[in-house]
Amino acid sequence: MKLIVYDLIGENCLTLDDGQKIYDLIHPELIASHQIELDFDKAKVFASPFFNIAIGRLLKDIKSEDLNRLLKVNNLAPVGYSVLKRVIENSKEYYSPNENTRKALDAVLLEQSENL
Amino acid sequence: MKKTLSIPTIDDNATDFDILFNLWNQTNNDNMDVTFEFSNCNFLRQNAIAFLGGLIRLIQSKGGTVWFNLESISKTVKANLERNGFIPTLGLGNGSVPKTGNSIPYREDSYQDKDVVVDYLKMYWLGQEWVHVSEMLKDAIVGTVWEIYANAFEHGKSSVRIFSCGQHYPHRHELKLTVVDFGAGIPSNVRLFFEPDPRAQSLNAASCLKWAFQRGNTTKPDGRGLGLDLLKEFVKLNKGKLEIFSHEGYVIIDNKQEKFANKTTFFEGTLVNITFICDESHYRLVSEMVEEPLF
Repeated sequence: MKLIVYDLIGENCLTLDDGQKIYDLIHPELIASHQIELDFDKAKVFASPFFNIAIGRLLKDIKSEDLNRLLKVNNLAPVGYSVLKRVIENSKEYYSPNENTRKALDAVLLEQSENL
Repeated sequence: MKKTLSIPTIDDNATDFDILFNLWNQTNNDNMDVTFEFSNCNFLRQNAIAFLGGLIRLIQSKGGTVWFNLESISKTVKANLERNGFIPTLGLGNGSVPKTGNSIPYREDSYQDKDVVVDYLKMYWLGQEWVHVSEMLKDAIVGTVWEIYANAFEHGKSSVRIFSCGQHYPHRHELKLTVVDFGAGIPSNVRLFFEPDPRAQSLNAASCLKWAFQRGNTTKPDGRGLGLDLLKEFVKLNKGKLEIFSHEGYVIIDNKQEKFANKTTFFEGTLVNITFICDESHYRLVSEMVEEPLF
């Protein structure tokens, strides 16, 4: 299946709501192991909330290798590509087992006592 | 409670923000009857205009009334407030139509309308003849600045709107934008995130801001914690400046420093003041199109 992002949400790929529109269309297809092509032709402005919901969240229940095989992103402008790459890096870390919030708070409080 | 507050000249240096936050501290009550007078005011920068607009709406939302002593405003300050739409938008004048001229309009956003905000940034802020950047760079700047609006709408949880105003500084070749919300503030959201642990309340505002700026840290669901990080990276790379005030916390980030501090003046919401250079030759865009798996 091929989706033209511009036809669905216009040239500004910015919001959570727009990200949700794309996610709702592609997630069931990817879960069913169907190929998806996301075409960003004519899309111009990009921000992380959109990519987080549309694409980053896919990593919650679909493996990286499956996404590389099934999801093709085409005609994405370089500035959009760099935001998307960062979103994916961030999502991979978020959805992998990590330290709990107690340890994170330990670290912030320790730094506060030392530096501020 | 009836109060008259004198608005002095307000620039956008660190002490000027204290003046604004002191005004908030003096009016943050229900049913205030506030008169603003301007006899000591020679100019108001974009930070003051955005903040004062928000303050007026906040007072009104709490059942209060606001009066502007228009006779006390100098001709030049009044002309600027009319040109940028501040006086007409707030219904303070006699219904004159805003004329944008060389000023950048004051705006209020009660909900997240991306196309309206993008048009504002492209046409009125970046679209003027004072900015010499390509369409592609404009798109990159607008996407980055959207991260500020997205945070304000999602995190601010404000009962009033999001307020913004820009200004062009021709001698410094700089373009500035202030976005302010009167919501819970970043430190409050960070403490809430850590709340099950009672030690969260001992986190000071600067520590909370520092945590919020670290890549991957977020109080939002689905790991959506990149906005501030992307903003910071873009500003550092392109010799801009980013300042954020929230509660007592203050952040200043430019290509030389990344400083987090606690101030003495408290403001419950969040104010972002961003500076960009108007000339494309100063910009570098991160372009990492490489043939490698995306995920």
